[in-house]
Amino acid sequence: MRIEKREEISRIKLYTLPFLSILASLVFVGILLLFVGVNPIEAYYIMLTRTFGSKLGLSELFVKSTPLILTGLAVAIPMRAGLWNIGAEGQLYMGAFIASYVALNFVNPFTIPAMFILAAIFGALWAFVPAILKAKFDLNEIISTLLLNYVAIYWVEYMVYGPMRGKEVYNFPYSDLFPECAILPRFFDTRLHLGILIAFSTVVVIYLIFRRTSFGFSVKVVGANPKAAEYAGIDRKKIIIYAMILGGAIAGIAGMEEISGIHHRLRAVISPGYGYAGIPIALLAKGNILAIVLSATLFGFLYVGGSALQTSYSIPIAVVYIFQSLVVLFIIGGEFFVRYKVVR
Amino acid sequence: MEFLISLLQASIRAGTPLLFATLGETITEKSGILNLGVEGLMIMGAMSGFALSFVTGNPWIGILAGGIAGLTLAFIHGFFSITLKVDQTVSGLMLVLFGMGLSGLMGKNYIGKVATYIDPISIPFLSSIPFLGKIFFTHDLLVYLSLLLTAFLWFILYKTSFGLSIIASGENPEAADTAGINVDFVRYICLLAGGFLIGVGGAYLSLAYAKLWTEGMTAGRGWICLALVIFSGWMPQRAVIGAYLFGGLDVQSFKLQAIGFTIPYQLLKMIPYIATILVLLLSLVREKYKLRAPSALGKPYFRGER
Repeated sequence: MRIEKREEISRIKLYTLPFLSILASLVFVGILLLFVGVNPIEAYYIMLTRTFGSKLGLSELFVKSTPLILTGLAVAIPMRAGLWNIGAEGQLYMGAFIASYVALNFVNPFTIPAMFILAAIFGALWAFVPAILKAKFDLNEIISTLLLNYVAIYWVEYMVYGPMRGKEVYNFPYSDLFPECAILPRFFDTRLHLGILIAFSTVVVIYLIFRRTSFGFSVKVVGANPKAAEYAGIDRKKIIIYAMILGGAIAGIAGMEEISGIHHRLRAVISPGYGYAGIPIALLAKGNILAIVLSATLFGFLYVGGSALQTSYSIPIAVVYIFQSLVVLFIIGGEFFVRYKVVR
Repeated sequence: MEFLISLLQASIRAGTPLLFATLGETITEKSGILNLGVEGLMIMGAMSGFALSFVTGNPWIGILAGGIAGLTLAFIHGFFSITLKVDQTVSGLMLVLFGMGLSGLMGKNYIGKVATYIDPISIPFLSSIPFLGKIFFTHDLLVYLSLLLTAFLWFILYKTSFGLSIIASGENPEAADTAGINVDFVRYICLLAGGFLIGVGGAYLSLAYAKLWTEGMTAGRGWICLALVIFSGWMPQRAVIGAYLFGGLDVQSFKLQAIGFTIPYQLLKMIPYIATILVLLLSLVREKYKLRAPSALGKPYFRGER
């Protein structure tokens, strides 16, 4: 039995594959739901109606998609350079931490821009450490970015239990509420906030960087063919570092936008794994910057639907992870059969 | 003195799940397969182990179930990385998410429950040796088993012809193939056996170490084990040192708190993660003359592409 490349790769199969994979994952998760005593059809009905059945549900779809677009980008940009950023979760937390610090200490008309810029810088710094270790010592960036997530999460936990714990929070691990000038405006009487526009503009900026600048070009060359990059005189190490800190900065912005648009205070738990979700989001979009908006919206739906299941059946939000991983596994498995055939 | 004894004793216990998982990943990587899903396998092992011990009342069935859970997830990785030969990084990472999600869903009814646990036993005479007795001879059976296992894996890898096949598959699969070794088969065996051990490590965590089940309780231990494999230079005998060292870093936070240390708990909790990165860095600087990854690690092997 051998594996052989197909002479002709069916485009139709390649393009329908993501949809089939989503369907297959829904069926698989449905079986798991049956297993824990939940009627999957009823569960999916709840997920759909809670999301698309009301203005509130629909707005929540965009609320959840906002950080996911950003973390998807945070993973996708280094991915284009051939690097794995598994640390978007930690970069998000560091961005949220510094944004909260600014919000609580500097009250003036420039609070929001300052939060935005410093969150990007802190996210970038959190990504810089693994990037420099990768460039200088070839230290595996998957392990280092991931481990730093735990450090960042404990840092925020330390802050809300210690130095930044609010005066009016009755011993809860929260900071005080932010002043008005540190809160992103909301729209249509929902939780939808300015962050969605920040996310969309970031997508456009990154898209233009990849289309129009020599930096974007260099990232693509380094990712696609490191040898060719070397011959072309591209400094691979420099590109690796820049791609990683750009990703980190965007994840940091996601933290700022969550804290300033949704929570309005620093808390121990800011994200239900948005940073980790960035990985399947980027994979599903194949690193394509515009496609990230689509895959992030799909995952946003999973999070809205997931919280609906949480309230209806007390199913942990972690069920979203199952779906995320299955979609990717079905796609890479399916792609194999589109591109190769097994011959006897 | 009392403090030191209890710290060292606890380090061994906390290091044992790390040892199982590090050994499992070591033999996996020795054969050339990179299984980044350790964290996912461990958490599934922890959940399955706890659930089965809760249901059957027999913690050993729990340990076995943990192993089987790890093996099952490893099989998924094998299907993708050995049979389909697709990107091992993607499939490994997705197993982490899959394991975290599935354990959260399946384990939701076991949170806060009490299962039957594996208790330590004091070995007669040996445990009464001053100082050393309490540190080394007051553990549960699995602690001793993990050490026997270390010796066993060392023997298999370096003293048997199957060990040679494993190393050949990881170093130079083309040559191994030419010499008549079924590379895919060897890799499957190592991956599945390794997955079983990683799952046992997870089950040890919930059934012998923490004695409870909570969502996400592995808390990055799987990733620490991936680093420990590098730290130990892919040698089972050295995994023991790394595992116990990080077992110590794991328990220091509550041991130090218990004696009235005033450094905030959360800052102490960061130490193992930062130390892992430092240890990795140290291994890489030293790698120049000694430690080396299997040459074909993480690279799919296509037959007939020579």
